[in-house]
Amino acid sequence: MKTMTVQDFESINVGQALPSLTKQVSVEQIRQYAEASGDRNPIHLDESFARSAGLPGVIAHGMLTMAFANQMVTDWLGDRSRLKRLQGRFAGMVLPGDEVTCTGTVASKDEEARRVVITLVVSNQRGEKVLNKGVAEAEFSTQRSDIHAT
Amino acid sequence: MTDPRWVGRSYETKPFAVTEQSIRDYMVAVGDLAENGELIAPPTYAMVYGFDAYWQLWTDQEVALDVAHLVHGEQRFSFERPVRPGDRITTTGRLTGINSRGDIELVTFELTARDEKGQPVSDGTALFIIRKP
Repeated sequence: MKTMTVQDFESINVGQALPSLTKQVSVEQIRQYAEASGDRNPIHLDESFARSAGLPGVIAHGMLTMAFANQMVTDWLGDRSRLKRLQGRFAGMVLPGDEVTCTGTVASKDEEARRVVITLVVSNQRGEKVLNKGVAEAEFSTQRSDIHAT
Repeated sequence: MTDPRWVGRSYETKPFAVTEQSIRDYMVAVGDLAENGELIAPPTYAMVYGFDAYWQLWTDQEVALDVAHLVHGEQRFSFERPVRPGDRITTTGRLTGINSRGDIELVTFELTARDEKGQPVSDGTALFIIRKP
């Protein structure tokens, strides 16, 4: 188990890069993701089916790639409850054996709302973008936003 | 080509009971193992508790999407609050767009997830691309 270090809002600067995150994608991980998510579409699991659908072979779920981008951001935030928004465009296929790297940059910082916007890209080992137009937004509330008096 | 008259059709999941095991299975599958005291699901776990709404759309025999040629084009989420074991979450997905563009078809699906008290948990928008054979 890895412990998260909570990011301090005051020390964030616009333009700063987040620590990148690299993942190796395997057939085993795609199967595991299919089981955990329930998404057992055969284009992710069945090599001959994927080929007959016009794909080069089984492909990873787009949402697995987005989960990596999510992790890069929440590892940096140090608190998953701070992530308020996440989006991206699946620009390319990820195949078993690919190595993908997530990168992010702080695009803006709102001191009053205590929010930051981060732009995200995920690229493969050839430098081709597999996720682009990625955006994450985080809120650094002074108190826990999810606890309400009842 | 999917018939655009199905725009507006909606699908609701049964309440999804979030368990520690389900969150941990997801964390292991994506390799996101960090913890910080209490267990909070990775935000993209929204795909797990909402999955049955997607599944109902993909398997709707009347809409009959060509799922063999369907890929995920874009995804957007907004998160209202963190998800923990014990939550019971119901997701409603609505088919909001079926558009043909050249040799592809774009299908838009908008989702809203609420807890057992009817309070918002997350919203999502998925854009699927269907390559015409």
